[in-house]
Amino acid sequence: MAGLPEAFLAAIQADFPPDFLSLDAGDLATFGRDWTKVHAPSPGAIAFPRTTDEVSRLLRLCSAHAVPVVPSGGRTGLAGGAVAARGELVVSLDRMRHMGPVDMLGGTVRVQAGAVTEAVHQHCAAQGLTWPVDFASKGSSQVGGNIATNAGGVKVIRYGLTRQWVLGLQVVLANGDVLEVGGALEKNNTGLDLRQLFIGSEGTLGIITEATLKLTRLPGHLDVLLFAVADLAGVLALFREARMGGALAPGAGLEPGHGPFTVTAYEFFTERCLDRVKRHRKVRNPLSAPSDYYVLMEVENAHRDALEAWVASLFERELVTDGTLAQHSSQAAELWTLREGISESLSATGLPHKNDVALPISELSGFCAGLDDLFARRYPGWEICLFGHIGDGNLHINVMKPDDLTREQFLARTHEADHDIFALVKAHHGSISAEHGIGLLKKDFLGYTRAPAELALMRAVKRTLDPQGLLNPGKILDA
Amino acid sequence: MKILVALKRVADPDNANKVKIPPSGDRIDTAGLEWKPNPFDEYALEAALRLTEDGKAPKARAGEVVVVTFGPKETEQTLRAALATGADRAIRVDVTDDKLDGALVARALKALVEREKPDVVLMGKQAVDGDSNQVGQSLAELLDWPMATFAATIQEEQGALLVGREVDGGVAVLRVRLPAVVTVDLRIVAPTSVYSLKTARTHKYNDGVRFAALPAIMASKKKPLAEVKLADLTADSGLKVQYHGFEPPPARKAGIKVKDVADLVARLKNEAKVL
Ligand SMILES: Cc1cc2nc3c(=O)[nH]c(=O)nc-3n(C[C@H](O)[C@H](O)[C@H](O)COP(=O)(O)OP(=O)(O)OC[C@H]3O[C@@H](n4cnc5c(N)ncnc54)[C@H](O)[C@@H]3O)c2cc1C
Ligand SMILES: Cc1cc2nc3c(=O)[nH]c(=O)nc-3n(C[C@H](O)[C@H](O)[C@H](O)COP(=O)(O)OP(=O)(O)OC[C@H]3O[C@@H](n4cnc5c(N)ncnc54)[C@H](O)[C@@H]3O)c2cc1C
Repeated sequence: MAGLPEAFLAAIQADFPPDFLSLDAGDLATFGRDWTKVHAPSPGAIAFPRTTDEVSRLLRLCSAHAVPVVPSGGRTGLAGGAVAARGELVVSLDRMRHMGPVDMLGGTVRVQAGAVTEAVHQHCAAQGLTWPVDFASKGSSQVGGNIATNAGGVKVIRYGLTRQWVLGLQVVLANGDVLEVGGALEKNNTGLDLRQLFIGSEGTLGIITEATLKLTRLPGHLDVLLFAVADLAGVLALFREARMGGALAPGAGLEPGHGPFTVTAYEFFTERCLDRVKRHRKVRNPLSAPSDYYVLMEVENAHRDALEAWVASLFERELVTDGTLAQHSSQAAELWTLREGISESLSATGLPHKNDVALPISELSGFCAGLDDLFARRYPGWEICLFGHIGDGNLHINVMKPDDLTREQFLARTHEADHDIFALVKAHHGSISAEHGIGLLKKDFLGYTRAPAELALMRAVKRTLDPQGLLNPGKILDA
Repeated sequence: MKILVALKRVADPDNANKVKIPPSGDRIDTAGLEWKPNPFDEYALEAALRLTEDGKAPKARAGEVVVVTFGPKETEQTLRAALATGADRAIRVDVTDDKLDGALVARALKALVEREKPDVVLMGKQAVDGDSNQVGQSLAELLDWPMATFAATIQEEQGALLVGREVDGGVAVLRVRLPAVVTVDLRIVAPTSVYSLKTARTHKYNDGVRFAALPAIMASKKKPLAEVKLADLTADSGLKVQYHGFEPPPARKAGIKVKDVADLVARLKNEAKVL
């Protein structure tokens, strides 16, 4: 039983329900890691609290016995944040999934942090409302994990990050104190907004046990389009048009931002990505000829005639070379599969090394040119699969293992390549992690995005809230 | 070759959970539903397009495809989508769903066939809302035309179609002389299911129904879409089918969590009794 103090275990046995702690080998393997497969799981035990009070008493006990803790949600994280590889106690929120009634007037709902993202959607949909935090892992990810990673997704361009949709939090601090921040208030200008400290803290500052979520109405009718464009400059030129909702089309006679539709997703991918999806899954290119770049665009409540007029003007102005508009929901789903299937298909057809970077949109062209140049010079012959939430300046850079390198050789060289890529990110004023967080995986590179003064401040906050360094030790920052 | 394709719109099964039945239970409330073409009718349209083109150069049409639907004004959206996908002409018979049954649709289609004189009438084997599976057969009977149902493959011959039907344990191949009625099954959109006389036997189609290209969507606005009154097609608009009541399916029971594989096996054996 990998080193948890006897006195600690005895206290757990005495003060908590019999099924509170698991030392089962299957549980240790399952709950010891997230979606990443880089580190071997090796937790000391798994705790399954049911209430905030249990979490509070547990952390007080951990503090007394200096037991390190890894908060654990749906374990779909992509940065190793929920990995317990050094005998830590994993605190799983799996049993804390209660959802309160939807407040129709306030447009809010209070849930326990273990509530699964998709369950929250279903809970609110009955009232015509939704919590617009949405991505492929929503069937497993939890509200607490979403908040702790400030998760993004494909609808960020419309709704923003998780941060925008959290009104109040209940957090258990390292010493067991229970903190209520924010409440259910949209407006609360009473000094520092402590809530924001915990959003995106990846389990290093406290365990989130409950949250009051801000809701919005379910989206109206969604239309999905796929465009073929010649190059990245074309992707960006089309984006400039799209984000104005079609108001820039000649003859539209509309104010910018008052076009006939609202963009809810603007995603791009390259032919190389589509090729990998086609190799892995039974999908086809819906367009009659392949293109180097594709854009998937989703729009809400489009005025159909105006949307079609806008599309016609794109052809006239040679902004796109081809495209299709889904005629109904199954076709829309098929178009989305081309984009959402990429991540999985890259892993199924090869060994991808993933980076998730963000850049100011105005820097994207220069960055991508630099990336091409870098790889042509230093890593010739490596296949790069580019895709991402381009409307947010978010680029997924996937480098595929060349056949002539072993796995170990490849991983060693990608570490080197990461330094090169991140130096380029820094030169273009970007971020080395757009959505996925830092966790264990990107820790070595944090300095490319955050200045020494920022890192010092982050350390000071950590020390204030967790002086013993027991909460998710070694994540984001080394002690 | 000239082909008439019957297209029906159905409530989108993806939001079928929004289908409401009023307490009286005597009808289905369709307010607020999203619609899509009956999938089998979409397959019929795809088959019709394949039969009227050379698969290698589909832009040059080699025949005519006329789509027809029965419904109110907003069903023209379904027809526009079909025109965008490649159909040449569209006809809407103006009527609402509650005033229709399979027999009436077949009677009206018969009159339309007599006007349009197609070589083939293609439609889905059934509509996925009512699952009646009868319009194609009734129409063939009224016209006294040859018929092939549940087509999985169609190959054009001079004056005839060779139709493959998947039956238990094999494939039955029918040769129907034209004009004829053919209803299609889902395999009809596989890559090597349909060959016109023009398409080389080595040609492979993309699997599934083709997408409408944006330029074609724009061009479809200029394609002819005619409205016809039901009364102009049949004097007898009486209904043979009356619905006694509708019931939603029973709510699904919540799932359970099993402890381990042994527990799962035990439950499959003792409770679900599937092992
Ligand atoms: C297929 C797939 C697609 C994805 N797509 C996206 C995407 O589009 N955008 C995006 O941003 N992410 C995406 N992700 C990453 C991931 O799903 C999200 O980051 C998600 O928010 C993680 O939630 P989780 O509950 O699984 O957290 P976990 O993986 O369990 O934990 C993540 C981090 O949060 C901490 N944590 C978890 N619960 C709590 C809590 N209650 N209190 C304090 N700390 C806690 C953990 O310690 C860890 O550091 C994707 C993942 C997969 C597998
Ligand atoms: C007629 C009227 C209507 C108003 N309506 C609204 C309203 O609808 N909503 C609303 O929220 N407020 C409203 N206010 C309040 C006020 O205008 C806003 O709060 C505004 O943001 C204050 O800006 P200021 O530059 O005047 O700040 P100041 O009054 O100069 O300063 C406000 C605070 O900010 C600090 N501060 C100022 N500049 C800096 C800086 N550069 N760096 C760090 N700290 C700084 C000051 O030390 C002070 O604590 C209204 C005020 C008036 C007179």
